[in-house]
Amino acid sequence: MIPAPDLNLSVLLPIILVAIGSMTILMGEVLLSRADTVLGREVTESFIGTVLAGTAIFFFALTLWASGVAFAGGGVQVFNPDNPMYQLDPFSSFVTAVLALSALLSCALSITYLSELRINHGEYYALIMLSASGMMLMVAAVDLIAVFLGLELMSIPIYVLAGFDRRKLRSNESALKYFLIGSFASAILLYGMALLYGVSGGTSFEALRAGFDADNPMALVGLGLVVVGFAFKISMVPFHQWTPDVYEGAPSAVTAYMSVTVKVAAFATLIRLLAMAFGPLEASLETIFWVLSALTIVVGNIMAIIQENVKRMLAYSSIAHAGYLMIGLVTGTIEGYSAMIFYLIAYTFMNLGAFGVVVALANRGNDCERIASFAGLARTRPGLAAVMALFMLSLAGIPGTAGFMGKFKIFMAAVNSGDIWLLIIGVLMSVVSVYYYLRIPVLMYMREPEDESHRTEIASGEGAVLVVCALAVLALGLFPNRVPTLLFGDLDVLDWANRSVGMFFGG
Amino acid sequence: MGEFDQHLLTIITFFPLVTALGLMATSILAKLLGADGLPASLWKPIALASSILTFLLSLRLFAVFDPLETGFQLVEHAPWIPEYGIQYFVGIDGISLLMVLLTTFLMPIILLASWNDISKSLRNYLFFMLSLETGMLGAFVSLNLFQFYVFWEAMLVPMYFIIGVWGGPRRVYAAVKFFLFTMVGSLLMLLAMLVLYYLNFDQTGVLNFDLVAPPGGEMGGLLQTVVPVDGIWWKTQTWLFAAFALAFAIKVPMFPLHTWLPDAHVEAPTSGSVVLAGVLLKMGTYGFLRFAIPLFPSAAVEFTPLMMTLSVIGIVYGSLVAMVQSDIKKLVAYSSVAHLGFVMLGIFALNVHGLTGGVLQMVNHGLSTGALFILVGMLYERRHTRQIADFGGEARPMPVFAACFGVVTMSSIGLPMLNGFVGEFLILVGTFLAAPIFAIIATSGVVLAAAYMLWMFRRVMFGPVDNPENRGLIDLGLREKVVMLSLLIPIIWIGVYPNPLLRRIEPSVIELIRQLEVRRGVVEVETEVAPEVDSEAAPEAEAEPEAKTETAKPDAPDSALPDEAEERL
Repeated sequence: MIPAPDLNLSVLLPIILVAIGSMTILMGEVLLSRADTVLGREVTESFIGTVLAGTAIFFFALTLWASGVAFAGGGVQVFNPDNPMYQLDPFSSFVTAVLALSALLSCALSITYLSELRINHGEYYALIMLSASGMMLMVAAVDLIAVFLGLELMSIPIYVLAGFDRRKLRSNESALKYFLIGSFASAILLYGMALLYGVSGGTSFEALRAGFDADNPMALVGLGLVVVGFAFKISMVPFHQWTPDVYEGAPSAVTAYMSVTVKVAAFATLIRLLAMAFGPLEASLETIFWVLSALTIVVGNIMAIIQENVKRMLAYSSIAHAGYLMIGLVTGTIEGYSAMIFYLIAYTFMNLGAFGVVVALANRGNDCERIASFAGLARTRPGLAAVMALFMLSLAGIPGTAGFMGKFKIFMAAVNSGDIWLLIIGVLMSVVSVYYYLRIPVLMYMREPEDESHRTEIASGEGAVLVVCALAVLALGLFPNRVPTLLFGDLDVLDWANRSVGMFFGG
Repeated sequence: MGEFDQHLLTIITFFPLVTALGLMATSILAKLLGADGLPASLWKPIALASSILTFLLSLRLFAVFDPLETGFQLVEHAPWIPEYGIQYFVGIDGISLLMVLLTTFLMPIILLASWNDISKSLRNYLFFMLSLETGMLGAFVSLNLFQFYVFWEAMLVPMYFIIGVWGGPRRVYAAVKFFLFTMVGSLLMLLAMLVLYYLNFDQTGVLNFDLVAPPGGEMGGLLQTVVPVDGIWWKTQTWLFAAFALAFAIKVPMFPLHTWLPDAHVEAPTSGSVVLAGVLLKMGTYGFLRFAIPLFPSAAVEFTPLMMTLSVIGIVYGSLVAMVQSDIKKLVAYSSVAHLGFVMLGIFALNVHGLTGGVLQMVNHGLSTGALFILVGMLYERRHTRQIADFGGEARPMPVFAACFGVVTMSSIGLPMLNGFVGEFLILVGTFLAAPIFAIIATSGVVLAAAYMLWMFRRVMFGPVDNPENRGLIDLGLREKVVMLSLLIPIIWIGVYPNPLLRRIEPSVIELIRQLEVRRGVVEVETEVAPEVDSEAAPEAEAEPEAKTETAKPDAPDSALPDEAEERL
């Protein structure tokens, strides 16, 4: 008889929590649709908005708490010691906490938006939770198979979410495009993984590290294909073409969610892959990442200038930010990785905030998408205009905001490792980025309002998310080492970022 | 020193911002509660009172400041992000003292001068003005490079909004241009800062952004870093200095990086122009004095010919372009390019006269050009035009205005007994000692300045009142008289008796030169000399500027820097 493996379920606790939440919501949705005929559509709608969204938020909060506790505890635990596939360590629990927090904020952002767009279905929250559980699996994975499993579990619900506004052609187009390109990317990734398996004779990160031969072309090709697979997910140039179309077509709340979380999860997984599996190939990877990073920064920033649609502009801006994040990968140092983690947190808040404003302006089935429709917003919606200006300044990297601290940390790491040319490119492109980010404050503050019907009321969920994001952007920009919170004392986010990647460097 | 004085700099720096945030908080709170909040008419006096109080506090600063002591005074040091050597570190020497005074002095005047200018979203305007004041003060008192950078950049945001929201017809273009120009320089400067930071780390093993050693700290600051003259290109003084100099030169602005200035000045509202000319441009020259030159002294000397050439080109070019302007505001804007050329010339003379004159001229330019912009604003308020051709014979309906304009014009030209003279004179003496050819060319700038200013003055003030619209113009009201009077007092006072300022500038300048020599390895470190320098320099500074030239003139015109410094000792 085969002895029962000594499984350590607590490793998967955050993921299990999210999965339970997702199932609960699916069940609840079924029950509600039964009750639909009895109670009437109005009542079920409000149930979806309160009970189901509340459930999602509750479970994300539990996950946040669980991973926070795990992070505080430190130490490394594996799910199955005989065949380590998932690992609970400071890195995975920290990234899981970030993911849970951004998913929580996305859910709170969606409530009113979904009913404005008349797509208020309970599956929405279930899909968000499913994809979040996939991301959490992916960042905890220490085996290529597990990485792939997590990646697919993350991606497939997001394909559905992108097409969630199924009556809109563009939403459908977005879903189909994302699905097709995503499938190609997955196939390429899988092919690369197969080659790597062929080289090293194992799929676990440890086996990869041990079995690598840097001179073996098969290893290099496999590595290249794996990088390409991830390059699609984080929209590195030249694998970025889907990004603007998908971001534009998907409902804004979905764009907010996926633009942030997918990036966090994919970058975190890349960091883990590089640090744990591909260490011996560092040198050859550095050149590849150098070129890709420079390309991504340049193309993202230049293309963003000519956009007339906010969501497309933010899509290109997110490409540019991916480029800045990749500078961290180029350095390959603990400083670089910790800067990336910090940058991702900063990016989470400022990007969620920027999309949150777009969401909060959506009105009766229409997204507020044209950049021109921001004209005169300072007059009509002074509060929203003020936070939007803050998010734009933060994305542009003006001191005093989280975006600046993120860039500063990345630049610091890169100066220390001597990548001066990449930095000069990055810095000059930053100036370009200021130009297009400033367009929105220019319109909001320096132009007269157009006759555009925005929503005139802000929902409490959206308001709360925007306030949290705005405060976080300021706090991370001014006191990243002691972010003041009322409940939990001062948070040393800088130190957390260091600790989370410290484990890869024997810390 | 009392508890209060120890925190004086922090209080002065953040007082305007706290007022601004407090005012904003009341209006947000009122909105949440559904109430009306403070009426905008109450915001104005509160903002004005806050800026006046800030000025009074900085007078206290002036009183507490010990002119005989070298090095930084009233320092305050607190951890901010200590993991990266980022500290909250403020302190002043004579140079920054004057800059702080200039800022806090101009701010209430600006608010008073633009009392009726702004009607559109007044609350936001006052909020931006007050936060801008904190930004500028913060940059002047920062002794931590990171902290300086934060203030330096954060300052852009309120200025950008002031130009862009309350400016003229092409305000958006001007605001964005202003922002982008500054960003190019400052981001490259940020890289240079980081390179310097890691150079310092390699040498000391400590992560540190402090410029000098904090009180009680044993490690020296960034000023102790040995920056190689050659080696890997981006670690050399030349390139690091170039990056810093680019950022500051854009702000000054030096020819050929000045193109943002006329746009920004012309489009900005009067208050914005005054802040720009009065204080913001000084940020660039101050940056050279505080950071670029002391940090990379060899490169600074290496760049001197280039900098001086660009300065004199700026003087001549700025004056010539000012001469052909038909718009008074644009004329004043180009005159700024010329005046700042003088300041830069004085600074890069790198001797006591030049530097002292440069610093004093920074103050003078702030007062004179600020006053000119306010006067142009007053004209514009009455006639809604700034074309010289539209005016004529204004002295008849507006005698008081004409008198004020006359004095300010003279001060801008550099007439003796007015402030401009002292500064320009010292600069020319300093330049003559360092590089006579540049002094000769620069002197032509003085002549040109007289030409374009007096020509403009004649066309606007004298002659027949041709245009019927000019006939019924009302002379200055009480508020405007107060504004002009408070500007004229220092303009005349500095012209007649500049010693209180010179006495505070000189020790800092001598210390700067000494540091320069030490860091270039020309002079051995003589810690004992430093206190003696001041006690001797101070009485000497009491002498009239005329007397100073007599001691200076016998010097060989090409006397090198060390000689000059030793002569002062």
